[in-house]
Amino acid sequence: MCDDAIENESVVTASRHALGWLVVGNSIGLLLSLLLLKPEWQPGRLTYGHWVPLHLNAQLYGWTALPLVGWLFSMFEVDRGPARRWGPPMIWAWTSALALACFRWLSGETSGKIFLDWRNGSLWGFLVALGFLWAIFAVTWWRRKSEWGSLRRRISLTGLIGLAFVPVVMWIAASPKTYPPIDRTTGGPTGSSLLGSTLVVIGLMLLLPRVLGNRGEGKARWGTWVFFGLSWLVFGLTEIIGGGHFDAWQIGAMGMLLPWAWLIPRDWSGFVWPGNSGVWRMCLVFWWVVLVLAGVAMYQPGVLDHLKFTQGLVAHSHLAMAGFTTSFCALLIANLTGRPVGGRDSILVWHGGVITMIGVLAWMGWREGNGSDWMIVQAGWREVGLILRMLSGVAMLAASVVWMNHFSKS
Amino acid sequence: MMSSVSIRAAMVIAAVYGYFLIFAQFAFIELLRGDFSGHPDRWFFSQGFAEKLVLGWMAVAGIGAGFWVAWKSASAGKIRGGLLLAGLAAAIAPSMSGLVGYAVIGILTGAAIGISTVSLATLIKSWCGIAWVGLGTGLAYGCCNLPMVFLQSPEHQAWIAAGFAGFGAVVVPSRGNFSAELRKRTLPFWGVLIVFTALVWLDSAAFFIIQHSQNLKAGTWGEPLLWRNGAVHLVSAVLAGFWLDRAGTRFILGFAWVLLAVAGLAVNEAAGRPFGGWIYPVAVSIYSTALVAWPAWFSGAESERAITWRAAWLFAIAGWFGSANGIGMAQSLFNVPQAFVIISGLAVGAVMMFSYRKYWRFFVPVAGVILAGFFTIQETPSRPSTPFERGKQVYLSEGCIHCHSQYVRPGTADESYWGPVREMASTLSSRPVLIGNRRQGPDLSQVGARRSATWIKLHFLSPQSFSPGTTMPSFAYLFETEKGADLVTYLKESGEPQIGRVMNVISTWSPSPTGPSEDGAALFSQQCAVCHGEEGRGNGPMSHLLGKAPANLVEGPFIWSADSPDRDLKMARLIKFGIPGTDMPGHETLTDDQIDALQKHLLQLRK
Repeated sequence: MCDDAIENESVVTASRHALGWLVVGNSIGLLLSLLLLKPEWQPGRLTYGHWVPLHLNAQLYGWTALPLVGWLFSMFEVDRGPARRWGPPMIWAWTSALALACFRWLSGETSGKIFLDWRNGSLWGFLVALGFLWAIFAVTWWRRKSEWGSLRRRISLTGLIGLAFVPVVMWIAASPKTYPPIDRTTGGPTGSSLLGSTLVVIGLMLLLPRVLGNRGEGKARWGTWVFFGLSWLVFGLTEIIGGGHFDAWQIGAMGMLLPWAWLIPRDWSGFVWPGNSGVWRMCLVFWWVVLVLAGVAMYQPGVLDHLKFTQGLVAHSHLAMAGFTTSFCALLIANLTGRPVGGRDSILVWHGGVITMIGVLAWMGWREGNGSDWMIVQAGWREVGLILRMLSGVAMLAASVVWMNHFSKS
Repeated sequence: MMSSVSIRAAMVIAAVYGYFLIFAQFAFIELLRGDFSGHPDRWFFSQGFAEKLVLGWMAVAGIGAGFWVAWKSASAGKIRGGLLLAGLAAAIAPSMSGLVGYAVIGILTGAAIGISTVSLATLIKSWCGIAWVGLGTGLAYGCCNLPMVFLQSPEHQAWIAAGFAGFGAVVVPSRGNFSAELRKRTLPFWGVLIVFTALVWLDSAAFFIIQHSQNLKAGTWGEPLLWRNGAVHLVSAVLAGFWLDRAGTRFILGFAWVLLAVAGLAVNEAAGRPFGGWIYPVAVSIYSTALVAWPAWFSGAESERAITWRAAWLFAIAGWFGSANGIGMAQSLFNVPQAFVIISGLAVGAVMMFSYRKYWRFFVPVAGVILAGFFTIQETPSRPSTPFERGKQVYLSEGCIHCHSQYVRPGTADESYWGPVREMASTLSSRPVLIGNRRQGPDLSQVGARRSATWIKLHFLSPQSFSPGTTMPSFAYLFETEKGADLVTYLKESGEPQIGRVMNVISTWSPSPTGPSEDGAALFSQQCAVCHGEEGRGNGPMSHLLGKAPANLVEGPFIWSADSPDRDLKMARLIKFGIPGTDMPGHETLTDDQIDALQKHLLQLRK
């Protein structure tokens, strides 16, 4: 809770909570790496499997989602509207829902769906938080619509209607009764579903400088927008057709992502970015390119078969979350609040830790891919890998604590 | 700033608090119980009335002495006098007997504690900063948890306490200048009384219950844990001192209550005791440090006299009244009741909400979320009816999915290790689908066909015995209830239909050893001795837990004849895949060279 009135208090509160959840998620990640090294250190009955949902969901619904919530606050201009005093309480409601869910997950109450562990009490608590959040956007829109131009009024109303469906989608997605189409040769997602989820991220990246009102003009010409639409079309078609990573159309669907490794940096180069976010923009572009290239490469026949279920998959997850998503969230926070997220040293430490962790996990995954028993019989090498992973985790946790402290004081 | 006065002040806190902990709360009660138990024929003693009467007089004397100091004003001399009186009471306590004798000791002890605590809480601010309060409190707890103190007889503990008091009387600094420094008051005084009373009440009840329940005590602060507990107390109290100094009291009491509640609930179950044992001393040290520091720095009292009165009220109500009620209500309990945690939580929560009522906008949505989280309709209100379904729930709630897949990838090495491939339709028809995402251990889709129920259970109990170096922790706690058996049933029944296909995989496999032979004896010791024994006579450390004794590989009987033409192939298959339907497990991760070496070693064992 904050005593001092801040101009964009809701956005700052959302950012502060996001960084807090990053610290929580990293702390639990460090605990997980310790439990893999020393299983006997488990605290009571709270074994490794109890902690994993907390780590994953703290990163997704805390660190990743809250900056996006802050962005919504900014877009609806909640901090300038009549409901501005309700903004920070809504962030606390979100955090309470996530904390409550952590308690539930820790006690073993989960839907069994990774990243969608919401069930019973945790699900209800989160839906109520989403409902509160929607209500504040709706009230703000209603009271401010007359001050906005026609286009903005309509776009924001469309967004508001779309947001109303989020709780429903969460309810359906978290249900154990629903399961997405899978690649039957791996048990994992299809190329088309990976394309679809990444196109949402691409959409956000195209929106970011435009909605934030950065000076300059993006370099996305009509060809880029046509290709964006075409990518969605390919997603729709291949999703209907189905298939696996041996099918040309699914590989092709993943291949549609490759041009975006160049198109996004090119588009962004036309905008002027605030000074305190420059380093994060560079990091984001770097991780974006690596993520696209690695993602497409990993989906290829032979490669995916080699890495599925291995530490290589964990390496890719950390590339996506600790590398790309963290850079995106930090860039977003820096742009929304005007406050820096960390200094040069802590950013360097973070990315050093991420690169080391990804490298070690990728190496372990590749070795594991040669024989599924590598983790079991090569205990010595496994321990070396896990120790390096833990040390990377220590560096990342330290950096995130510095960011949180730095942000709160700036 | 470090000065000799600050150090002496911390020592006095340690002496006063240490005396209270080791004598008033511990040795004195044990002494009078020992004496009163010698009168089993007199109901007044046997029913505990005499004990309650003596402790009641001690409390009355403590409260009265505290208010006497408030009336007369605090001084360094009163602290010295109080400590000398305390030392005298402790020193003569072991030689006392009877109701009157212990009543006198009780009254002296109570009065000494009342005088010294209220005086100390008033003057401490003129001697040192808040951080030193944490050090003093931590030293008190740390010293009392030292095995050479904690494990002494009550008589020796009484003399040690007398030593504490005497040391404290010597190091009391002379009166310093009153410091007008005041920290932000975040709670009204009546709120502070309620919060501390709730904390002391819950702590006293939990302490009494744990102390008088053998299981709880052994798992929480048993003899081997004393050094650890002392260190945790010391570190936590020192950190609490720094916390109070830097950030004030804004969140510290709520945090202490959360820790105390978690610890109180955790110690009720065997598996939670190690966790509770870590948390409990942290919680106690935090709120104890705050309790000592509150009157002088955070009560809002601007004069020495006002501080003294507030200290007298705080220690009377929260200290004496709270602890007496906590212990009194826990007399016949062997678990920390959830009701105690809820009642104390409601008291703390109500004060916090009222005190921070200007933040009502925060409370409304947060309360809405929490109410929705705890009081909404549950999706699965009824308990699954079959062990299989219940076992699947255990698989979910234990997070097995985060280390184990249930999906053998076609065309990969998975097939020879955990195979064969299952039909996709049956995998996808399961709800929820448990394909998994990341493997730290083997695939479990056919484990029921590859392992016996007994082996699965033993592996849950002691994974390291069967898989040396494994990252899997023990799940022995599951077998304290039916959860363990249900999980075994789930794994067994979900794999059993595959047994024909597994047999088919076995019957088509043959080894292709290529490299130099490995050390068969070493492999045998690592992989087989746990059941078959180091010499192969079927007498390994786990052998008595199996349904049927493991084979004696030296004397037989043997399932293959020495001159069988396909003996080597049969033995190799047996080593790699075990015997489905029996307790003999497979060793799927062994290489063909290792299997070859083991097979040769087995032939050497055979007479």
